[in-house]
Amino acid sequence: MKLKKTKKELQQPQILNLDDDFSLIKRFIEGDEYTFNTLVQRHKEKVRNIIYLTLGNHDMVDDIAQEVFLTVYKNLGSFRFESQFTTWLYRITVNKCKDQLRKMKIRSIFTPIKESEEELGYTSSPENSDVREIVQKAIAKLPEKLRVPLLLKDIEGLSYQEIAESVQCEIGTVKSRIFRAREGLRNMLKPYQEELM
Amino acid sequence: MGNLYKPAYRTGRKYEMLSAYIDNELSDAEVKKLEEELKFSKELREKLAELKKIKELTTSSVKNIEENPFFETRLAAAMRIKKPWYSKLGKLSPVYGIIAVSLILMVVLKYNPQVINNLLDKQKSNITAFYKQNLKPLLYAADLTNEDIFNFAFYHQLPLDNRKQQFLQFGSDSNGNQFFEIKNAGAASSRDNLKKFIHDFNLNKDQERHVDSILSSYADDLQSQVLVNEKSTVAINPNIWNYNKALAADLISYLTRINKNELQRALPRQYEEYYNRRNVAQMVSEIKSSKNNNYIFFTPDSIFSEPYKFDKDQYKQEMKQWADELKDNMKDLNNQFKNFSVRIHFGDKYNKLKSDSSWAKDFKVFVDSNYCKVHIPSVIIPPIQLPNMENFSIRIDSLNNLFKEFSFNFPNPGKNKSFNYKYFYNDSSKGLKFNFKAFGFDSSFAFKNHKLDSLLAKKFKGRGFKLNPDSLAAFYKAFTGDTTEILQQKQLQEQMKQFQQEMENFRKEMEKWQKQFQKDLPKQAKKNPIEI
Repeated sequence: MKLKKTKKELQQPQILNLDDDFSLIKRFIEGDEYTFNTLVQRHKEKVRNIIYLTLGNHDMVDDIAQEVFLTVYKNLGSFRFESQFTTWLYRITVNKCKDQLRKMKIRSIFTPIKESEEELGYTSSPENSDVREIVQKAIAKLPEKLRVPLLLKDIEGLSYQEIAESVQCEIGTVKSRIFRAREGLRNMLKPYQEELM
Repeated sequence: MGNLYKPAYRTGRKYEMLSAYIDNELSDAEVKKLEEELKFSKELREKLAELKKIKELTTSSVKNIEENPFFETRLAAAMRIKKPWYSKLGKLSPVYGIIAVSLILMVVLKYNPQVINNLLDKQKSNITAFYKQNLKPLLYAADLTNEDIFNFAFYHQLPLDNRKQQFLQFGSDSNGNQFFEIKNAGAASSRDNLKKFIHDFNLNKDQERHVDSILSSYADDLQSQVLVNEKSTVAINPNIWNYNKALAADLISYLTRINKNELQRALPRQYEEYYNRRNVAQMVSEIKSSKNNNYIFFTPDSIFSEPYKFDKDQYKQEMKQWADELKDNMKDLNNQFKNFSVRIHFGDKYNKLKSDSSWAKDFKVFVDSNYCKVHIPSVIIPPIQLPNMENFSIRIDSLNNLFKEFSFNFPNPGKNKSFNYKYFYNDSSKGLKFNFKAFGFDSSFAFKNHKLDSLLAKKFKGRGFKLNPDSLAAFYKAFTGDTTEILQQKQLQEQMKQFQQEMENFRKEMEKWQKQFQKDLPKQAKKNPIEI
C-alpha cells in the first residue's frame, strides 16, 4: 500500500516551491483573500530589501513596499501565470523605486544645494566607518541601471533571466551591467582596501 | 563616469565572463573553456578572486531593516479602503480642461464664425499700423540729387540715406517679373554718371538745364513712390517701375530731338518709335495719373502689401510750416534731416526670418549678408506698354563710363599670338576678361580710356577683327541688376579656369611620361635580352 502511494507520488511529482505562489494566487483569484497575506509575508522582506538598497533610504521603505503590495493586490486577478510570481513582483518593485527616484530628482531641482550628511559620511576617513556601511554607501553611489541588477543578483539571488525580465532588458545587458557594477564598486572601494580585504 | 565602470574592451569581455562565472550563469562549454584558461593565467585568477571578494562584500552588506510592526495592518487597511468612483476623475482633470475649452470654442465659432478672422485682422492691422506710422518720402531721408534721379532712370538705383550707404535697386527678370533689392553701397553704380552723360552727348548749357528740369520734375513725383520711416520700413509703390520707364523714355525722347545722330549709336533701332515725343507724353501722363495706393512694405517683421494713402500736399504743407518755424535756426533743420536715416541690417535676423514662411508670404525673398532681394508678384504692377529699357541703359552705359579700365596687353609680340582685353564694370566684382587670338598687331598699339565705338570704327577697320556691340550688350546684361546671375557667371568662370589648369597639368604630365618611356625603352631592351 505504502509502495503504491510512493509510485503515485512519483507519477505526479510535487510541484516546485515556486508553484506554491501559483496555487496561492489561484486560490486568491477564486475568492480566498486571506492567501494574499501569505504572499505578503513570504515576499515582504525581499521587496523591502530591494527598495532599501535601490533608494539607499530606509525612511521610505514601508511606504513604497505598501504601494508595491497594493498594486499586486489590485492586479493579481489578471496574473497570467506565464512567468514566476517573483519576477512580476520584483518588476513592480523596481518600477515603483524608479518612480520614486524620478520624483526625488524633480524635488532636488527645487531644493537648495547642500552637502548631505550621507555624502559627508562617505568621504570621511575610513577608520571611522564600518565595512558594511562603506559598501552600502558605495552601492548607493552606483548608477541606478547598474545598481538594480547587481542587488537583484547578489542580494535576492535572482537568475540573469529573471533580472532581465524584471528590469526589461536583454540577458547580455544584465551580464554586462552586473560586471560593470562590480568594477565600479572595486574602483570606489580601492581607498578602503586594507579594511575590506 | 564611463571610465569608472568600463574596463578595456578585450580584457573587459574576459572579466565579464569571470563575473558571470561566479554567478553560475555560464554554459557548461563556457565554464570548461574558462577553467582551462584560468589554469594558465595568473591575471585571470587574480581577477576572479577580486570579483569573488566584491560579490561577497555586496552580499554581506545587507542588514535587516527594521520593519514597522504595523506594516501588515496598515497594508490590510489600505486594501480594504475602496476609493470612491470620482477619485479617478481627478487624474483626468487636464483632459476635462481641454474638452471644456474645445466646447467653448465650438459654441463661439458656431454663433460668431468671424471671431478668429477678426482677431487675426486686428492683430495684422496693429502691426501694419505700427509700421505705417511716420512714413516720410525718400527725399526727406536721402536728399535726392539730380544725379540720383539720373541713376534711377538708367541704373535703377535710389539711395536710401544721405550718406548713400544703402541702395534700392529695381529690376525685372527675364520673365518680366519685377523685383527690388536693398543693397549695401558696394554694388552701387559709379558717381558722376549725369556729368558724363551730358559730356558725351555734347549738351550745351541750355540743354543741360532742360535735362535737369526733366529730372527735377520727376523728383517731385518720385517722393511719394518710396516712403521710409525710422523703424527701418521701406514702402514702395509698384508704380515706381513705370516711373522708371517713363523717366528714361522722357530723357531719350528729348535726346532724340536734340542729338539724334549721337543717340542712334546707343539706341537699338527697333525702339526708336517708342521715343517719339507724342508717345512718350502719353505714357508719362498715363503713369502719373495712375492711382495705385497698394504699397509694398518691407519691414523687419514682415513683407506685406497694403493700401496706403500718402497725402503729398499735406506733407508739403507740414514741411513748409515746420521750415517756417525753424527759419531762424536752419542748423536744427539740417540736423533733423541728417539724423533721420534708414538702415537695414542684413545678417542673422533676416536669415532667420527667411525660414519663417509667414515672413514674406506673398513674396519670394533672397537674403544674403549684404543684400536682400524681393520678387514682386507681377499682378500688382499696373501694365503700361513701354519697351524694356535694359538694353538701352547698357548702351548709355557703354557710351559714358563702361571703359574706365580698358587695355590691351602684348607681353611677347610675335611669340605669343594672342592678347588680353580687360574690362571692369564699376567695381572689381563685375569684371570681364577676354583673350583674343592673333592679329599681328604692332606692339606699340595700346589704349587706355578709349570708347568701344571709336575703336570699332577707326582702329580695327579692315583688320579681320569684329566685335558686335549688340551681342556684347546682351552679354553685359547678365551683369546688371541681378546679383545671383553675377555670382553664377563668376563661379562658372572660376570653374572653367580650374578645369583649364587641370587639363594643362595633365598634358604636361603625359608629355613627361612619354619622354621618360621613350628614354627607358632601349635601356630595358639591353638589360633583359630575350634568350632563345
